[in-house]
Amino acid sequence: MNKKVVIIDYGMGNIASVQKALDFLNIDNKITNSHNDILDSSAIVLPGVGSFNQGIKNLKDRNLDLLLTDEVLNKKKPFIGICLGMQLIFEKGSEPIECEGLGWIEGEVKKISNENLRIPHLGWNDINVINKNYYQNIHDLNFYFIHSYQAVLKNKSEIDSIVNYGSDIVSSLQKENIFATQFHPEKSQISGLTLMKNFFQKNVKE
Amino acid sequence: MLKNRIIPVLTFNGMSLVKTKKFKNPRTIGNPVQTARVYNSRQVDELVFIDIFASSQNRKINLSLVSDVIRECFMPVSVGGGIKTIDDINDLLKIGADKVIIKSQALLDPNFIKQAIMFYGSQCICIAVDAYFTNDTYKIHNSLGLDIDLEEFIIQMDSLNVGEFLVTNIENDGVMQGFDLNLIQRISKMTSIPIVASGGGGNLNHYSTLFLKTDVNAVASSSIFHFTQHTPLDIKNELNKFNFPVRA
Repeated sequence: MNKKVVIIDYGMGNIASVQKALDFLNIDNKITNSHNDILDSSAIVLPGVGSFNQGIKNLKDRNLDLLLTDEVLNKKKPFIGICLGMQLIFEKGSEPIECEGLGWIEGEVKKISNENLRIPHLGWNDINVINKNYYQNIHDLNFYFIHSYQAVLKNKSEIDSIVNYGSDIVSSLQKENIFATQFHPEKSQISGLTLMKNFFQKNVKE
Repeated sequence: MLKNRIIPVLTFNGMSLVKTKKFKNPRTIGNPVQTARVYNSRQVDELVFIDIFASSQNRKINLSLVSDVIRECFMPVSVGGGIKTIDDINDLLKIGADKVIIKSQALLDPNFIKQAIMFYGSQCICIAVDAYFTNDTYKIHNSLGLDIDLEEFIIQMDSLNVGEFLVTNIENDGVMQGFDLNLIQRISKMTSIPIVASGGGGNLNHYSTLFLKTDVNAVASSSIFHFTQHTPLDIKNELNKFNFPVRA
């Protein structure tokens, strides 16, 4: 039997949209938090909306933090994090209080602070792609954002794309088997679906 | 550059789409799922879906219908109607809603909004601000018999860090005579949280005027799409003439 892509269910919303996008792309997938499903998967999607602290707590409550770290960092399983799922892989978060993240990417997640801007950064915005790898065949590089916190990377070479909202904000990152987006590809119509298709085509063998 | 959003609004009565005038006289206008499918194929920026009678009829929103609507959409969907508990929010997020729109419970219990934000983050909590003008001041329209001043309410919600305000003057709802620019400008000065202007769009000129005269970057509309030949794209083309950035 072919291995499935797993969408991690840790009580942080938005999982149905990710599944809908994968179904649309004909990618065999399962929403789950079962350790066996995750061990047996071909790739891992960590979606999520909500606060950093609650997200980490929910992963820990389900004993998923160590398991995911082992699968992604040690076994190098393809991983895509979306929105909160991107933020949680950093060392440190601050929503609503300072707390530790999964620590796969060096850096931290901070509140976007700019007195002249409306926060959250909400809506469709253009990105500047630095690493084209997953951004092939996307004609309109604008994606749907909704976030009040931004990721600040220590290692700038891991930055994949940038969005400008008052200042430059990291919109996606890539490090080996890890890919993560601050925007919501699953909500970004054709551009987002193409990005997801590119990621799974490159990483998951049929 | 951040694009200005044109957001079709689907209001329904639990089953069918309806459109009100001044929040009264709901007129049946069609099937929510089919309409959502059309908007998805037109690649609209976002969709708002509200059960406008759930709170006043004291019932829960029809989750299976909401789920069918969201299933048609590969763009963000905000859903409102009868949300009273954290579980109500979770039920909607679980089936793919990106934001929930809350009104009555925000008026009754601001602490609930605080709690919701702790669980799910600011970004998914949108507050519906239905205002009306009386005795030289704006009040919040509600069916709870509460007397709430607009400014007090906005400042309170702002201090809780909600994600967005969906602002309507109920006198402009469904009338298609233009937006209440004064209301939008006032709220804009009170908060730096994103505002979606709603209520009153009837022709293309109303939209360019709204964006020229206020600093909102999103508008939600219903009647113009139901009762005229105009589509969200027509509004974008109009805004483009004035160099307001929009998605193609």
